[in-house]
Amino acid sequence: MVERAWLIIIRFGEYLLKQQWVGLTIIWVLLLAAGAEGIGRRVGEATPKKPAAVVKMTDQLTFEPARVTIKAGETVRWKSASLLVHTVTGDPALAAKPEDAALPPGAKPFNSGNIKPGGQFQHTFKVPGTYRYFCIPHEGAGMIGVVVVQPATT
Amino acid sequence: MKRKHVFRRNVIIFVPGLLLGLIAGLVLSAGREAPAVTRQASGNMAAIKMLQALAPARGYLQAHRGVQDPLGLLGGPVKVRIRQSEGGVFVALPDHRRLDKDVFGTPRLPRAYGGTPGINGVPPILRDVQESRYTVMKKKSPFGDKYIVMADGKLRLEAVDATATDAAQSHDSVRMEASWRDKKGNTYTVQCCQMLATHGVEFPTFGGVVTNHLLHGFTRLGTALMPTEFTYFAFWGMGSVSKNGKVLDHPRLVHGMLTEYVRTQGYRLAFDREVTPTRQQFHLMVAPFKPVMKEGRFIPSPVKTGFTLPNGVELPFWHVMFENLEVKGRRG
Ligand SMILES: [Cu+2]
Repeated sequence: MVERAWLIIIRFGEYLLKQQWVGLTIIWVLLLAAGAEGIGRRVGEATPKKPAAVVKMTDQLTFEPARVTIKAGETVRWKSASLLVHTVTGDPALAAKPEDAALPPGAKPFNSGNIKPGGQFQHTFKVPGTYRYFCIPHEGAGMIGVVVVQPATT
Repeated sequence: MKRKHVFRRNVIIFVPGLLLGLIAGLVLSAGREAPAVTRQASGNMAAIKMLQALAPARGYLQAHRGVQDPLGLLGGPVKVRIRQSEGGVFVALPDHRRLDKDVFGTPRLPRAYGGTPGINGVPPILRDVQESRYTVMKKKSPFGDKYIVMADGKLRLEAVDATATDAAQSHDSVRMEASWRDKKGNTYTVQCCQMLATHGVEFPTFGGVVTNHLLHGFTRLGTALMPTEFTYFAFWGMGSVSKNGKVLDHPRLVHGMLTEYVRTQGYRLAFDREVTPTRQQFHLMVAPFKPVMKEGRFIPSPVKTGFTLPNGVELPFWHVMFENLEVKGRRG
């Protein structure tokens, strides 16, 4: 069906092309419209999931709430409510103290990189278990949070 | 950095540390009250002189401050570059410092009491005691747990550590500009150094710049009110304090240092056993006192910061922490 439509467009284009410059303009308009629709569809697919929990990062060097509970496959969104740069880092290899980061077996480490004032980050948790994460610049000042991921209900 | 860096030959008589102002302020305000208290004040002054004479580095400094051609660092000069390009800063507010037993000892066996009170040690009389333990320093200082966050912290610093020891001259250099912005949109800037402290009076300044050294706390290099901290880079010199591009105070003593992380839960200033060795922070200090060159001592002089505290008083110092850093250092 789509191929047939394109065929008609192209044939029509060829016809117009033989006529005058207006033809070119029309072809371009049609092509751009088709492209824009395709891009729009892809963006729609990638639109972030609605988070199951939202955690604020503050000037008091806290994650609020410090502990959230979600189900496997759900997403947590972190939002900066701070003038400072923070990170959301669930990676024991990047922790100054081993006890500040923990992942359940089979879970992959995650790290937001620098989140500027007003910025945000989100992560989808697939493996159930308890995740302990921290902020790289403020780990020493106790900026640590916990995500508890329960098995997904069927 | 608009101001061209001046290669410093000048000798600054330099008492590093911060609380002389507070102590002298106490003495001066006491002196205004009554003649009887004036006698007590002169007694305090004599006590302060006795304490100053006990500064542990006096002999070392006497041997070094006249050196005209000091030796260089083993392995050659170290060049340092530090930047913060985004993110806020922590601005310390006056507070009572909790006293670490590892630094200050116990009432039975006090440590770290010599030198200008607070600048170097803290005399026992200024320490609160509870159940045979020291608790806090009675007077407020720039070294405590209270802080506010300000936006848009920017730091640009380039420095060379070439000269090893304290001396009359130095080949060290520092060019620094640091700024941050308050809620009302005012921008505060500190620039340094038109001159470096080529030697100290109460403790060494290593030509003005020092790298890879232990400072503060039990070392008695700088105030004992800061915890003992490994310091990758530090400087002491004379600079300027501005607000919205207008110089408010100049010249002022400026001290900066890149250290391991010395804040703990809730941004409390750490005790020695609480520091995080594998994280870094940069501290900037503009001290509330000024040197009297001829006398080799300092007089209290609150910094004109242009920033008013909620109680209506102008913040008399800047003690600002930068924690989103890019650091580069190399030899040669
Ligand atoms: Cu943080």
